[in-house]
Amino acid sequence: MAIKPVSVSQLNGYIKRILQTDPLLGNVSVVGEVSNLKYHGSGHVYFTLKDANSKISCFLPHDRAEALRYELSEGMEITASGYIYLYERGGSYSLNIRDIEVAGLGNLAIAFEKLKSKLEAEGLFDPAKKKAIPSFPEKIAVVTSETGAAVRDILKIIKNRNDYVDVLIYPVLVQGPAAAGEIAAAINHINEKWPDTDTIITGRGGGSMEELWAFNEEIVARAIYASAIPVISAVGHETDFTIADFAADIRAETPTAAAHMAVPDINELKEYISTVMDRLSMGMDKYIQLKEMQLKNLDLETFRKDLESRITMEQMRIDSMNAENMTFMQNTLNALSQKIESCRENLEALDPTAIMKRGYSAVTDSNGTFINTVKALNPEDKLIIHMHDGNAACTVDEVRGD
Amino acid sequence: MADTNRHVFEESLKKLEAASENLKKDNISLEDALKNFEKGIKYYNECSEILNSAKQKIETYTK
Repeated sequence: MAIKPVSVSQLNGYIKRILQTDPLLGNVSVVGEVSNLKYHGSGHVYFTLKDANSKISCFLPHDRAEALRYELSEGMEITASGYIYLYERGGSYSLNIRDIEVAGLGNLAIAFEKLKSKLEAEGLFDPAKKKAIPSFPEKIAVVTSETGAAVRDILKIIKNRNDYVDVLIYPVLVQGPAAAGEIAAAINHINEKWPDTDTIITGRGGGSMEELWAFNEEIVARAIYASAIPVISAVGHETDFTIADFAADIRAETPTAAAHMAVPDINELKEYISTVMDRLSMGMDKYIQLKEMQLKNLDLETFRKDLESRITMEQMRIDSMNAENMTFMQNTLNALSQKIESCRENLEALDPTAIMKRGYSAVTDSNGTFINTVKALNPEDKLIIHMHDGNAACTVDEVRGD
Repeated sequence: MADTNRHVFEESLKKLEAASENLKKDNISLEDALKNFEKGIKYYNECSEILNSAKQKIETYTK
């Protein structure tokens, strides 16, 4: 049987109708490995899903890509669900994806590393952006499952350590496809509605990587990073690391550890403030003792003693000055006496009576004026001759010049 | 909650610690030392009051 030739458009239109009305192809899940992954500027994602023998083009629309719980990566095995779509102009068909599931540790680890590198490059884990956990919180919020082990552990520790801080339990799903959205919304909501909250703890008890996966989703990491309130992450056990841990201001190894970090021990604080108070009292006592000593040093008795010793010293100084003066005076007197003695001796040597005793006489006129030349004499002049033991009045008989 | 009410404990504790250090300064006057001591006692009482208030509320948020 031969039918009349049809146009290409007609043929593709026909195939499209067949493909897109098929109930199986309208809702199909395919397992395969991601390859040739391309992110378009519009936000759509294109890749090829393949197995050992075959491959199929896949199209992940922008809105679905954003809601995806896993970061896609080359070589990762995924289960993609969607429907078959025929692109009439190109005559090609593809799988239009509604959702993607990733299973198995290896595949999850790939998604984990991919998202971790992406967010790290964006600066979401920047140590400089980490906020300090308040040391004495008034109010903390706990974002976790209301029925899980985590909330029990956290409340137990908080009640043990601290009967002051208010606690708001914000119940959310912590596993399954809806969990990440709820956790992120809770963190945003707490920031909006109770901005006075000091610290948020978010986390859950231990579980498989799939069970903990909500804390590896981008939306949770972004909400934690955007939170103005410091966030402590507390997911699973010591060995479990999640993307939320890297984005959080601090990672607690367990929910119990998170409670320890979030609230101080009131009894320890009471002891501590007592110690500081003791130091203050002791400091005051010491200060007063010091001042007392200083005051003692300033009393009248000490002042009197100081003055007395000062007077004694001054007295000694004056005494020694006096002695020096006396010595000087004595020396001066001695020198003068010697000088007088030598003058006396000189004078004695010049005494005229000593010469007269040797036979010389002095001649004066009657008025007592010395006459030492015959030229001053005339006959009949009255003269007096002085000798050492008296004098004699004489008259000149004759003047004879030599 | 009023913002002024927040971090009262941290502030008072810091001031109490500072008061106990202040007395070690060399040239503090008697007047300042006494004032400092009185303030220290005041901060201690504030801290103590907070620590002994046991005002804790634990609530679960319901949508």
